[in-house]
Amino acid sequence: MANQPSMSRALARRENIAGYLFMLPSLIFFVGFVVIPMVLCVYTSFFDSNMNQNTPDVFIGFANYAELWKDPVFIKALKNTFIIVFVSVPVVCIFSLWVASAIYRMKDSIMSLFRIIFYLPVVTGSVAVTVVWKWIYNNYYGVLNYLLKGMGVIDQNINWLGDQRFALWGIIIILLTTSVGQPIVLYVSALGNVDATLVEAAEVDGASDLQSFWKIRWPLIMPTTLYILVITTINSFQCFALIQLLTSGGPNYATETVMYYIYYTAFKLYRFGYGNAMGVILAIFIGLLSAVQFRLAKET
Amino acid sequence: MKKLLALALAMVMVLGLAACGGTVTSTETPAPAETATTPADTAAPADAAPATASAITLWTYPIGGWGNEETVKALTDAFTAETGIAVTVEYLTYADGDDKVNTALTANQAPDLIMEGPERLVSNWGANGYMVNIADLFDAADKSELNAAALDACFADANTAYEYPLVMTAHCMGINLNAFKEAGADQYINTETHTWTTEQFISAVNALEAKFGGTVGAVYCSGQGGDQGTRALVNNLYGGTFTNAEHTQYTWDDAKNIQALKELYDLKGIAFDPSLVGGDEIALFYNGTLKMAFCWNIAQQLNPNSADTGAEKTANGDDIVFMAFPSEDGNAKLQGGIWGFGIFDNGDQGRIDAAKQFIQFMCDSDHTVDAVRAANFFPARTTVDAWSDNPIMGEYNKLMPMLGDYYQVTTGWAQARTAWWNMLQQVGQSDGSEAAIKAAVDQFCAEANAGT
Repeated sequence: MANQPSMSRALARRENIAGYLFMLPSLIFFVGFVVIPMVLCVYTSFFDSNMNQNTPDVFIGFANYAELWKDPVFIKALKNTFIIVFVSVPVVCIFSLWVASAIYRMKDSIMSLFRIIFYLPVVTGSVAVTVVWKWIYNNYYGVLNYLLKGMGVIDQNINWLGDQRFALWGIIIILLTTSVGQPIVLYVSALGNVDATLVEAAEVDGASDLQSFWKIRWPLIMPTTLYILVITTINSFQCFALIQLLTSGGPNYATETVMYYIYYTAFKLYRFGYGNAMGVILAIFIGLLSAVQFRLAKET
Repeated sequence: MKKLLALALAMVMVLGLAACGGTVTSTETPAPAETATTPADTAAPADAAPATASAITLWTYPIGGWGNEETVKALTDAFTAETGIAVTVEYLTYADGDDKVNTALTANQAPDLIMEGPERLVSNWGANGYMVNIADLFDAADKSELNAAALDACFADANTAYEYPLVMTAHCMGINLNAFKEAGADQYINTETHTWTTEQFISAVNALEAKFGGTVGAVYCSGQGGDQGTRALVNNLYGGTFTNAEHTQYTWDDAKNIQALKELYDLKGIAFDPSLVGGDEIALFYNGTLKMAFCWNIAQQLNPNSADTGAEKTANGDDIVFMAFPSEDGNAKLQGGIWGFGIFDNGDQGRIDAAKQFIQFMCDSDHTVDAVRAANFFPARTTVDAWSDNPIMGEYNKLMPMLGDYYQVTTGWAQARTAWWNMLQQVGQSDGSEAAIKAAVDQFCAEANAGT
């Protein structure tokens, strides 16, 4: 009996070591590809860092951060990024919830069919998706112009990605199609997991459909909603591939986003320090917005 | 705690992406080239030199057939058979090639050899300290045999060369001859000299627009792809310049360029199109949508849109005629394209020596003619007879004397290129007034000059 605690401690230590060893492969990748780059990103943001090997990086303190707020392209990119976030996040959540509510009580085979249809753009590569949308939006032979002209909505072709009045909205529409798949699948699953007896009890007590949804289902799927809000927000903030492949931030910076401007600054202008400073600012914005979402969800 | 965790996770995700942009390189800088920097170095005793590497890597942009694996393999196999040095080739695209090379450079994973033009090899990677000085590869005979403009562009200064030129061409524009004839616009072109005046160009565009409606030519400006075409178009219309003669300042804010941009804006048949890059424009010209292409050269003339459907023909079988850019007096100054090889300094003298052997094999040997023909461009070495059996090349040779200043070696070239297409976008989205055009030109020219 006397040596039982020490045996327990040895057992616990052995289990801990085994646990850490299991974690080690992922931990190495996480540290190597996420934590270290993150630290380097913050560190480099305080330097005038460029590609030139002949000129050493110069420590400039917060000068990169100060310059950001005087850079009209960064301000424009920030504004566009917020427009994308504030439009796409609510639309994705509401549309996904609506679709999921409509299909989650259907027969399994039909529900699976819908899930496949909505999930298809998610698993399709970004390049393939953008090539298709580029054809749809094409100024000269795009199907969208063809349809709208056929219906009499427009009388002249519109350069959807080449006109600063339409380009950002064109990007947002593509983003929505690639963003709703996962939330729909999650909502279908979450709604299916709501305890049916609670809903039935409410209905026996005279609750309407809207009341039973609002008072029973909605609180129970709140964790799923919170997750969807956070990942959609982060994805929207990090909108990059569509911009790079379709518009390069144009026309006239109409589709410039912070993520694309980071890439452009670092890889086209070779201003690594300045680009990393933007990355830090973007991370702070994402963190703040996510914190607000957590707080609101908690209060709800 | 939850909030903190969420904040930390969000930051990790963004910073992880952003940090890919670069590192502080001071501690990881490879040793500067201590060898192969002067001709005297090559005179060192052979037994003191490190052994030549048995394998090297080449990254090449799609320079004519040098973007085709089958074509390049035949050349590298011949090199391997003669020297025993194996060559691994990676094929880059202009869309993301620069990103790949820059990423490799910052990670000290650069290839041994790179094939592209002096605007990248000399002005960018060379100026930033990543290239080996290969001035020792140029002896007196080479200097006398190589085209003077190409030779000059490959040297950063009198004793420093970062590129060995293989091929060159003059960029031009292409027109759909059938469409021109149908619209009665063929009267404005001289198919013998391949030249026309600004006035004739304007008349031709108006005739085409009247016949076919809509856009007949596009000032593409979605990115930098093919931007040599739009620069040459604007500069030639009224005799504007892009840089000064010393290549120390960007001068595209001169009144002649503003006049040209205004003229292009006002032409109903010409659209400033920010949804297209040069490659897209070529595709639209090839399928007959556009009646003229500003992004054209001999490689396109030989194989339009790289579609293998016949030289000098569109997809519909219409005839394509190459033309110099229009200018007031009909004497255009064309943009030159120069391509060759440079060596990245990986700090391994054996690999550098092997790379030099490769360059000499391709650019200064009996095999040069094959390397030139693979590119579908003209040899930079005047003694190489690569195309005497090809009538299209012979005809195209009429444009070569029109080569203008090779200004792509001006400092801050990368920034100037991006400023140029952003400027075109702003002009295209403006109300077209001279004041608005001037404002856009001044703003972006100043941005370009900030990088010099």
